[in-house]
Amino acid sequence: MRANPLTFAGFILVMITLVLAGIVALAPSLIIPYGATQDTGAHEVAPTLLHWPPSCNVSHFPTSCAQLAHPFGTDQSNIDLMSAVLRALPLDLAIGIGIAGFALFAGGALGLIAGFWDQPGTVGGGLSAFILRTTDVFLAFPSLVLALAIVTSIGRGLWAAILAIMITWWPYYVRLVRGETLAVKHLPYVTAARAAGVRDTRILTRHILRNVLEPVIVYFTLDIGTVLVTFSTISFIGAGIPWPGPTPEWGSMMAFYQGNYPLEQYWWFITFPGIAIFMTALSFSLLGDGLRDVLDPRTRRALAQTSATLPQETPAIAMTPTTPAQEEAAEEAAGS
Amino acid sequence: MTRPVLSVENLSVDYEVGAGVFHAVSDITLEVPPGRVVGIVGETGCGKSTLAQAIPRLLPEPPARIRSGKVIFQGTDLVPVPRSKLPMVRGTGIGMIFQEPLNSLNPAFRIYDQIAEAVQMRHWREDGILPSFHPGPTPFDYSRRPLTMPQTADVLSRPVMPGTAKDVMAARRARKGSDIRNEVLDYLRLVRINDPETILSLYPHELSGGMRQRIMIAMALSGKPALLIADEPTSALDVTIQAQVLTLMKELIDEVSASILYISHDLGVVAETADDLGVMYAGRLVEFGPVAEIFETPRHPYTKSLLRSIPTRYKSDWPMPTIPGSVPNLSQLPPGCRFHPRCSLTHPVCTREPAPPLRVIETTAGSTTSHKAACHFAEEVPSLP
Repeated sequence: MRANPLTFAGFILVMITLVLAGIVALAPSLIIPYGATQDTGAHEVAPTLLHWPPSCNVSHFPTSCAQLAHPFGTDQSNIDLMSAVLRALPLDLAIGIGIAGFALFAGGALGLIAGFWDQPGTVGGGLSAFILRTTDVFLAFPSLVLALAIVTSIGRGLWAAILAIMITWWPYYVRLVRGETLAVKHLPYVTAARAAGVRDTRILTRHILRNVLEPVIVYFTLDIGTVLVTFSTISFIGAGIPWPGPTPEWGSMMAFYQGNYPLEQYWWFITFPGIAIFMTALSFSLLGDGLRDVLDPRTRRALAQTSATLPQETPAIAMTPTTPAQEEAAEEAAGS
Repeated sequence: MTRPVLSVENLSVDYEVGAGVFHAVSDITLEVPPGRVVGIVGETGCGKSTLAQAIPRLLPEPPARIRSGKVIFQGTDLVPVPRSKLPMVRGTGIGMIFQEPLNSLNPAFRIYDQIAEAVQMRHWREDGILPSFHPGPTPFDYSRRPLTMPQTADVLSRPVMPGTAKDVMAARRARKGSDIRNEVLDYLRLVRINDPETILSLYPHELSGGMRQRIMIAMALSGKPALLIADEPTSALDVTIQAQVLTLMKELIDEVSASILYISHDLGVVAETADDLGVMYAGRLVEFGPVAEIFETPRHPYTKSLLRSIPTRYKSDWPMPTIPGSVPNLSQLPPGCRFHPRCSLTHPVCTREPAPPLRVIETTAGSTTSHKAACHFAEEVPSLP
């Protein structure tokens, strides 16, 4: 993993995100100074970044030092944006991992079945045809539009939005896993396993599953970011969680501020929730990219740089110590 | 007379694809007696591999379809057996070595896991955790003891009781993880792998083609099959490695008194390994008999031309003798004998009537296999130019 600095960065970022989310969920008072909707008394303070060093007048602390106390600034209702953004982290993370994870398991299982037992005229063939046609119905609509339609028909709110994305998300995994399964199941090693007396279910759950895992896990980690963005979009349109409200959520924060305040003047209102979404999506994407290399035995060894000394069947020709270039160099060295 | 391990009777396999029906294997009858190596040779596309995969029913059905015939393995016809019951025949009953050692090992698992799975499968069947085909000890033997064949004819139709929970637990206790590991190491040593301990933890892509084929052989043997089908085990390897694997196969054939069906396109390879030889042409078996006899006096014009076209360093004919024409399309076979367009014998009967079934031409005293050929003029073939 250390061989690829981007993967390593992704890994570190994901770790930081998870630890931060854990702290926020369990003991928010450790790092979050204000409540989600607490009136801090500081009205529309711009973040510290552009006013450095902060012009603090010690005699009038803390009002004059509001820029230090609110690194992300405050909004029109005197809410501290850093507290709100941080408080949203566990929820947004859980939504991303939860929905993508549900899609991974549900869609993956259906995709394996649809890819493996695809023989027309059998029970499995009928089942897989049913799975695929159902998938086609979902894939016929853009998932965001479908999710919006569902969320508005079953009622707004957090759970409605989660349910809507769950319903629309799994078909992509079915398609991906089925394609991979179809490609793998006719490879000679699957026939070889079958010839060794391994039953179909074991072939599917052991030999095929392990070989479709790489692209699927990578897709899953990239997908966490996409789910987050989709959820934020639903909130952004106003169908998700209301903001200002007791539960901060990045998408709904952006939606509210973007709709009510001019960006040029109050740029920090939407910048920090936006950065939060971007960073979370980016860190999982970086990690996912590198996971592919780690999961594939062919690249894993190369990355780990621990290629075992293989017992040679024949003496390796590469062992001969000199190449023509080296010989020339040696001669030159001897001559001079 | 001992019962053959495998007897194929009038087996025909078709491929039904969009372009038509391909008669890949037509009306093939052959026997593999216990402890004997039967070779099958033929050109590319003559149906050898289809035959090899049709015996343990490994062909994807559809497009393949067994049109007629029987595959009797140890007294049980495998053709009507439902697919769900086939795993109990494969591995422990019929083992298989494949043509492509590069792709026949799962790239995601270590060598240990791959062989251990085959060993584990056999343990589970022996211990009654999984249903097994052999009711008793396997006839596969390392000490050239006389082969004992299971007496119950139709094992598959009888429900095999997996042991009671208590038996299963006792069996699991008796077999430890280290036992499987030791057994895997034994099989790796059997196929002459120098440093088996190191090999265990490697992935297939870290091994050479020859090593991988040895692993494949070890996997096939670790199921202790009664019949081993080797489908061109040396074809995908380069010549030096081919020689090594061939030597290994020959040594193993001597060491392990297995019944083997050895499929190859290389007459030289088969001449070295097999006891009996079958020659296939366009889906049919055209000649069958002891290897030495076929090489000495071929009784089918095709075999004769095939033998003549092997280049040797002593023959200086140029151009090299070849068989004119090419293998017919298996969906549009010529009328009459399938070989007649390319045959040096030209007789009206050959274009009119299909070739006769394999008939006994001669039986050498002391030989268990008689020399058979599927030609109207088999007796005249030795006198052909």
